[in-house]
Amino acid sequence: MQIARRWLERLSLESFQTQLMGMVYGSGHAVLSRLDPRCMLIWYLFFAVAPWFISSLTVLAGMFLLLAVATVLSRAAPFILFILCLGLIGQVGWLFLLSLFFGGDAESALPLLKLTLKLSVVSLASITVFSGMDPERISDGLLALGMPAAFSFSLSYGYRILPVLLEEFRSVLLSYRLRGKAPAPGRFRYIRLAVYYLKLLVLSFYPLMLATAKRSRTTVEALEVRGFSYGMKNPASRRLKLEHLRTTWRDGVFLGGTAAYVSLLFWLG
Amino acid sequence: MKSKADRYTLTSSQKMMIFVLSMSLYGLSNMFTELIPKLQLGPIELSVEYFAFIPLTLCILFHPLYAAIGAALGEVIFGELMLGQFGGLGELEKFLTFSFAMFVAGSMVRDPRSRLQVGTAAMTGVVIHQLCSSLVDIGKVWIGVEEFEAVPGLAESVVLVEGVGFLNDVLFSGILFALLPTLYLVPRLHGKIEPLLGMKPRERRMRPETDRRRVAVLAIVGVVLGLIAFGAESLSESGFEWGSWDSGLADHLGDGAIWVSIGAAVLVSALVLAVVMLRKKTAADQSGELPHG
Repeated sequence: MQIARRWLERLSLESFQTQLMGMVYGSGHAVLSRLDPRCMLIWYLFFAVAPWFISSLTVLAGMFLLLAVATVLSRAAPFILFILCLGLIGQVGWLFLLSLFFGGDAESALPLLKLTLKLSVVSLASITVFSGMDPERISDGLLALGMPAAFSFSLSYGYRILPVLLEEFRSVLLSYRLRGKAPAPGRFRYIRLAVYYLKLLVLSFYPLMLATAKRSRTTVEALEVRGFSYGMKNPASRRLKLEHLRTTWRDGVFLGGTAAYVSLLFWLG
Repeated sequence: MKSKADRYTLTSSQKMMIFVLSMSLYGLSNMFTELIPKLQLGPIELSVEYFAFIPLTLCILFHPLYAAIGAALGEVIFGELMLGQFGGLGELEKFLTFSFAMFVAGSMVRDPRSRLQVGTAAMTGVVIHQLCSSLVDIGKVWIGVEEFEAVPGLAESVVLVEGVGFLNDVLFSGILFALLPTLYLVPRLHGKIEPLLGMKPRERRMRPETDRRRVAVLAIVGVVLGLIAFGAESLSESGFEWGSWDSGLADHLGDGAIWVSIGAAVLVSALVLAVVMLRKKTAADQSGELPHG
């Protein structure tokens, strides 16, 4: 009972926000964050595409191990891993039921295990890169690889602004709850509670939309003061902005080590 | 030909404001919908699929193109990248169908104060989006599973599952989380939120100004990208043996199959890299163009 209560406490909106803060602002210390973002993105591209075309269980399991280590090194937030597990169970469990329905038996669990491994390799790679690295570094890496400036800016902006938005949303929701009246105990209490909260969730977006509109105006004005839209069209200023990206021996070791490990896996499998 | 004063023109920074606003709001709502638990009643799943009312409201009140693209990008960043659920090519197809549906819904409305137009547009947007994604899902199984005809009942069951999902999404999520909130929010926000971004509200006579050539180019690029994503996805789908169906590739080629798959993976990675490099050279001076009109 106590364990359950402790878990519920962890699931509250507040702790979610704290973890989010840690993820968004605290990822600069992780080991992988010191690598060159362009190398990390290319590394990610391989692990996002390759698993779909591989059917050897050994290779997939080896890749999974490598990515599990990488995820630990990137210090991903626990709630992200929790959501990942939930999603995997939901997706694969549903497929398993469906295949039982079509006359499969326990043997159909093996291909499904493969599918789970593939899905988790892809997801862990994206967790390692996109939540283990500093948002500004990812965005500079994307810019260097040719993404439009508006997209790469939105990525880092989104990361930074999310905890702030969540904080604002929480206070709006709390003030609605203070002024409102929750359903009294009685028949169908949980259904009425769910309806009540969903309605509040929707209503809270009205003040939030107005506040966010103001904030986005401030953001864009600040951007334009620094010459965002014209500066990013100018090759010289782009070069200046991206000058700090340098590949070092660390990146070489990282990419080379991964390549050696993966080819070893293919040789074994 | 209308005179310039009748048209709804925006400066490039106003377009960027709409883009940022729509991205952050829809992204935030996506975090919630990922976390809200689902209620499963047999084959019917009562789930909050998405808060479609946010992009719908913004597309109706502002320029539909930038609001739609912003919302789709917000979903990718907050709902997928940050939570580590980025599926690669599958997201591309979601991105395209979603922004297309929202853009159409926003363009349908001529007068944001008319409740009939707003309601019709909201439902149309949801129906277009769900229809596109159901058809894509059915097509994926159709192409991906080679022995489609050989497995009895598969065709019917796939269509049935997708059909039930479609009806459920449109009737449950569509009415509760798209139609009703949009009808509530649009009249309240109209005339209030636009001055905060420093622009005039959309009026009956003013049509959103869109550069036709750019929309056409975007549409063509979108269709081509969508086809590529679709093809690659069905290819990968056929690679995993579902239940007892086997692609047979491994039997024919023996160990060679592994090398074929490595080759394919290397080829895809190299192609993507080459495209990126090429784009970097040609587009060095015109990138960051999208929201800057």
